[in-house]
Amino acid sequence: MPIVEKSLVRVDRTEKLELEGIDVSGDWNTFLRSRVWTDLDVKVADWVRAQPGGDTIDRCWQCGTCTAGCCMHTDFGLTEFNPRYFIYLAQIGYEEELRRYAHTIWRCVSCNKCVERCPKGVKVEEVVHTIGSYLERTGAAPESPADRFDRAYTENLLNRGILDEAALFRTYERLEGRKTPTRELLRMGLALFTSGRLRTGPFAHRTRGWGKMREVLRARLEEETRQRRVPVPKPPVGAGGGR
Amino acid sequence: MSASAGRGPSDPVPAYYPGCSLDGLGKAYEVTCQQVLDRLGLSLDRIVDYNCCGATEVKNLSEDVSVALPARNLALARSMDRHQVVAACNGCVYSLARANDAVQGPATRDRVNAMLTQGGAPAYDGSASVQHVLEFIYQRAGPDRVRAAVRRPLAGLTVAPYYGCLYTRPKRYTGAGKTPGTDDPEHPHFLDELLVACGAKIVPEFSAKTICCGGGHALSDLEVSVAFSASILNEATRAGADLVATICPLGQINIENHLDRVRAAYGPEVIRPVAYFTQLMSLAFGASVREARLADNFSRPDSLLRARGFP
Repeated sequence: MPIVEKSLVRVDRTEKLELEGIDVSGDWNTFLRSRVWTDLDVKVADWVRAQPGGDTIDRCWQCGTCTAGCCMHTDFGLTEFNPRYFIYLAQIGYEEELRRYAHTIWRCVSCNKCVERCPKGVKVEEVVHTIGSYLERTGAAPESPADRFDRAYTENLLNRGILDEAALFRTYERLEGRKTPTRELLRMGLALFTSGRLRTGPFAHRTRGWGKMREVLRARLEEETRQRRVPVPKPPVGAGGGR
Repeated sequence: MSASAGRGPSDPVPAYYPGCSLDGLGKAYEVTCQQVLDRLGLSLDRIVDYNCCGATEVKNLSEDVSVALPARNLALARSMDRHQVVAACNGCVYSLARANDAVQGPATRDRVNAMLTQGGAPAYDGSASVQHVLEFIYQRAGPDRVRAAVRRPLAGLTVAPYYGCLYTRPKRYTGAGKTPGTDDPEHPHFLDELLVACGAKIVPEFSAKTICCGGGHALSDLEVSVAFSASILNEATRAGADLVATICPLGQINIENHLDRVRAAYGPEVIRPVAYFTQLMSLAFGASVREARLADNFSRPDSLLRARGFP
């Protein structure tokens, strides 16, 4: 694993200084003690950059416009949801800190206000999703509910070309081990049925001549899923575990 | 950069992309869209054998599939010899416009076209432009023609116009704000103007206009999607609205799907009925509450409107 050392504070060393007969030699021009991180890993940014959704990560210059308008950060009030910071951590490769947000990053709702406002053309929403999938693919984050939904959604869609909304609902509830009360289901089902909107299973809409397209798209989906697997680096020989 | 470089040629009758919602849960939206377009003398030509666009979900799993799905529909529109595609769902507008941006890259375009051809669809060159049906109505008919078509003004009705997130966002895909016929991405106003032309009153300030409804996580993150639905209803109530008008089936369905949860958390006084803008326009154009399919909506705007004297 490549190790990058980066000092956060540049110390201006004043080796010797005497003021009115008093020796005040020392480290001046700084209020912080010098810290050196030794666990930064450029692999994170390299992986994110190599993904189709992450290719704009290097454009970010950390202005924070994305976070300022982010609906998860401001409207929902989840202040630890901070896309600027996620990008920063990925850029410098501070994986340990990034992992602290493993249970947060997936919650982006894709409203795209960040992409709309970014002055540098960073596709923030896609970069954030890519950082999230980095964490999942390295095993640092569990598969998120949103990820399970994306998968169920995509499989459902690829099946007939047109989404079977009711079937997706059922599949997803099963995946999450959740059960909407029967009374609520009946109420919704009845309303949909009487207005002719309950078309599911054999009655669902389908795209004519979809069969070939389905195969092509499924093959591509599998290939991309394979490609996105992050190779987990082997621990160095004799590593005692932990720093 | 075709998406941001301006719209291409304008079709007398653009292609219409229904997407999954308008053929499913959002049927009332499609039916009333048609009523409104008919009354305004506008037509759209439906893309037959379309497929779903992939919304914001597929791209998290596969870039190429997320571009190929909408690109197939745009290619079908081009094979109908149309340069313009109109969609009524914000999610569709987003993913169609995003595909347009993606196929500007030659490598992506070649890969996607190889997939399309292999799957038996025409190839796509990125030459179709995408427009939301609200923008289409505004651009082709505008408030003046809408006003002239009104038979029963929505007098006494105060409406909160809710645009949602992906109507014009992000402009790098939609070209919004800098292309003729597009709305402003930060301060959209087309819906406000059309509803006023129908005789409705618009709430003076509706700060939830373009916030997210949380629809993408409607099932996977209830806490968030309920909170956003509640914000929209809360803000509409605070601003004095009788009902909320939507332009997106995802927004409509997400808010309505969470009504019980919002009611339990915030009390019944923040609940307002929610209706597609075309249902309201159709009503103003003379349709009955039944014809505008207002009883389809879970939030039951039909009761309110009947009480206000609409037949």
